[in-house]
Amino acid sequence: MNQAGESYLDIVWKQFKKNRFALAALWTLVPVVLIALFAPLIASNQPLVYFDGDAVLFPWFLSLFHPDETVDFIFNMAMLAMVPWAVVSVVLSAWWRQRNVPSRTRVLGATGLLVLMAGAMVVVFSLPGMAPRHPYAGRTFVEEEFGNPDARGFYTLVPYSPRDQERGSAFQPPLYRKPAAERERASEWFPHLLGTDDIGRDVFARMLYGTRISLTIGFLAVGIYLSIGIVLGALAGYFGGTTDILISRVIEVILLFPSFFLILTLVAMIGPSIYMIMVVIGLTGWPGIARLIRGEVLKQRANDYVTAARALGASHRRVLFRHILPNALAPALVAAPFGVASAIVVEAGLSLLGFGVRPPTPTWGILLRLGSSNYNYWWLIVVPSLAIFFTVTIFNLVGSGLRDAMDPRLRM
Amino acid sequence: MWIYTVRRLFVMIPTLFGITLVAFGVMQLAPGDPLKAELGAAGTIGETSQTREAYLIMRRDLLLDRPALLNFRYFRNYTAPIREVVFFRGQSRGEIVEELARLTEAPGAPENAARLAFLRGLDIADFDALLADPEVHPRLAHMIATGIQVYLEEEVGLHGVPPAMAVLRDPGSPLQERIGAIRAIRLMALEPFQYSFGREPDEADLPYVVAPWQLWWSRAEADFPAVAPAQREELAGKLEAMVREESRREVLEILETLDRDDMRFFAERLLGDTTFDEKRLSADALRLYIADPLQLDVPTGAAEETVDEVAGNWLVHYDLHLDRYEPGLARRFGYLLTDTQYANMVRRLATFQFGRSATRTREPVGPRILRAVMVSAPLMIMAQIVIYLVAVPLGIICAVNRSNAVDRGVSLGLFVLYSIPPFVAAMMFLLFLGYGVFFDWFPSLGLHSPGAEQFGWGRYLLDYLWHAYLPVVCLSLFSLAAMAMYSRTSMLEVTGQDYVRTARAKGLSERAVILKHGLRNALIPIITLFAGFLPAMLGGSVLIEVIFGIPGMGRLSYESILQRDFPTLMALIYINAIVVMLSILLTDLLYVVVDPRISFEGREQRR
Repeated sequence: MNQAGESYLDIVWKQFKKNRFALAALWTLVPVVLIALFAPLIASNQPLVYFDGDAVLFPWFLSLFHPDETVDFIFNMAMLAMVPWAVVSVVLSAWWRQRNVPSRTRVLGATGLLVLMAGAMVVVFSLPGMAPRHPYAGRTFVEEEFGNPDARGFYTLVPYSPRDQERGSAFQPPLYRKPAAERERASEWFPHLLGTDDIGRDVFARMLYGTRISLTIGFLAVGIYLSIGIVLGALAGYFGGTTDILISRVIEVILLFPSFFLILTLVAMIGPSIYMIMVVIGLTGWPGIARLIRGEVLKQRANDYVTAARALGASHRRVLFRHILPNALAPALVAAPFGVASAIVVEAGLSLLGFGVRPPTPTWGILLRLGSSNYNYWWLIVVPSLAIFFTVTIFNLVGSGLRDAMDPRLRM
Repeated sequence: MWIYTVRRLFVMIPTLFGITLVAFGVMQLAPGDPLKAELGAAGTIGETSQTREAYLIMRRDLLLDRPALLNFRYFRNYTAPIREVVFFRGQSRGEIVEELARLTEAPGAPENAARLAFLRGLDIADFDALLADPEVHPRLAHMIATGIQVYLEEEVGLHGVPPAMAVLRDPGSPLQERIGAIRAIRLMALEPFQYSFGREPDEADLPYVVAPWQLWWSRAEADFPAVAPAQREELAGKLEAMVREESRREVLEILETLDRDDMRFFAERLLGDTTFDEKRLSADALRLYIADPLQLDVPTGAAEETVDEVAGNWLVHYDLHLDRYEPGLARRFGYLLTDTQYANMVRRLATFQFGRSATRTREPVGPRILRAVMVSAPLMIMAQIVIYLVAVPLGIICAVNRSNAVDRGVSLGLFVLYSIPPFVAAMMFLLFLGYGVFFDWFPSLGLHSPGAEQFGWGRYLLDYLWHAYLPVVCLSLFSLAAMAMYSRTSMLEVTGQDYVRTARAKGLSERAVILKHGLRNALIPIITLFAGFLPAMLGGSVLIEVIFGIPGMGRLSYESILQRDFPTLMALIYINAIVVMLSILLTDLLYVVVDPRISFEGREQRR
């Protein structure tokens, strides 16, 4: 039985740890997020350090402030924020340990701190004139190095960026390496680990940066629909009457549309972009959550503690958001990991049909679409398919672990 | 139970309304004119008049010529703008240029001010700058002419006909204004006369068809020679043959054997006292041989007699359709809500007359959807059979072997299946088994081999199954995993119940306990899920059908989104919503039928 002082989250975590698959999945999620975060550190065509004969340059660092996508900018800032964050959190954790702060609070606090710092950096460096200038944007170090024997560059692991085109080496299979005679840059000795696409872009780099987009779409879309769903569902369940009838009707109407069809229609009408896709998935996904929360709030409202809180003079807002909602959130939170998985799948499906994000942006679905145009380029199908499958499995495992941990019927 | 069902059916109506409203809103969001996208630039003015007319007819057909939600046009008075229109339409380009010069001289005079205000309302870019420069007045005159055309065709429509008709009727109007009125009416009244019957002849249309021919005959009778008795016999025979003939093609073949001189016979048949079928076919014959029975347009500067004749033609048209042009007050209020895009769309949906699609072929929506359903439904039914046949036994095996190696293994396998998105599975299957890159065991596109129509039925069926194998597998994988997991939990729940323990305590064999006492109860929630498959059967799967090149419902919805084919899209959404609601109702009903412990009273109270 529960020990005194054990909070609900403690119980859930204890239960969650018992599910080995789910725990493993949760731990796999960490490197996936880290890969997304540190993508430029793994693949970039900018040298980390470059010595051109008389000066030492740091093009890679400067290029972080000027990526092609807004999503990349946010991730880059988060990556840079990790350096000061690591220092601060080491100090903090020592202090916390002295004061015997529970480990859960430490983890949550540290994560929150990282989000705050990354957010601050995004805001600061997107102000005009704040980001360091990138004077080498048009310069290709690799070519210079090829011509100048004095030049030395140190690259990241994979010296290709997701938008580097080499029309000469289009549709090459994995591990393709340009013949020495055809090389125009020194760094091209490195093989294309996962082959190249239709205009010779490196599939590995595209997959890597595509992780960022997939995760962003997954998390933000679910964030949008969780917030809408929780608020509307709670209002409907708590106030009942006309509010309930209205919201329930809207829920019913939206649920009657086949969801993928509705998303497809909306995206086709409004126009494709990462943000539109997120918003559309968010706007079409909330009714399911709202219905869950509504049912749960209805159940909780009948409990004595609600009457007690009202009797003590708590306002509706306080009763609903402080007393009832924390007890009613479980089913919505369980739905979240599954939602992330399905949002990733939906994005890939949209891209596959040609309604998704537009081509220069690296996403998994676009690679799949390329692959579907000619099955001879098997790596363009296998690689994104496996990535989608892998990510979806991870999120589903976490979700099912969470469900088992939160479902009181299964708790012994 | 009946009362419950009927009540549920009534609740569906407002929901359906909501759905049509949401779908309509989404389609209004779409930027641009979907018709122009389809017809290319052909719909724009300046192209040949035929494509322009096709565009306008299509626009009316798709209800796009009306306001979206509220129609105030029946209450607006178009007399003032029509007076200006009549003035400009009656003049040649050169006269308009002179008029422009006159306007620039005294823009302040009251009559000129009104005229300028009208011209400014035509959406001509930089109108005032162009007006100030006499050099460009010829170009401006051209822009005014096209501007007026667009204004009449797309904005005023039939509402401008009554004031123009008043000008035409007024004996005091100058010839030029009467010409202008005729030319304006020509643009506003699209397809004024119905010379023959459509595909589905309606006897109510008879007066509309007879009237123009009567007018034509009153003028043209003298041109046609008398028909010899022998010829008359032969024509009567042909007409009779056509009446009997069912196929439209055969009728056309007979029609083509006729001659223009025979038209006297058919005109007499049409106007005389004969049966409806004879009249119908006579009208067809006349339509085929008399290209332009009534003159409806006049050039600027036409002679007085021509104008009189054409005005007479238009008067006949106007009198025929008087109720359309001058509806009573009550009907005008009715039109406020009912003569709009939305109301007409709802009317079409409610009567299941979906109209024609917005594609180039203008294929009717209903048969199109039916054809797609006939392709999707068999696949979905097969997938459903596979799902039930595999998933339920798997679930039972897992539940019986609870928590041992078998359960763990199967559950993990199911979980993996559950995590494979169907389209990823489809592409992987095609890659490895379909395209010959690795193996070439299955066909990659379509549901039939080329030339399958000539196969015997056995071979045809085998060919079909061979083609359908991969799609069916892909369609069933995901649901199979979900269903198996569901039946596992359902079975687990049941085996924990007291009555199962009792059965064991009685000394029944494990097999009897599981199959007789456990399974029967565990099946209850699973069977009720069956109703949920109805919408899937109708809806198909967009991605799977696109990947495998199957012309089913999913593919149809994908294509109609791609082509901005709103009538088809709307019909698809509507049908889907109805089917989903019916299947939810069916699920609830099945619950009660299958499980005697649940009653409607209980359901009602829980709600």
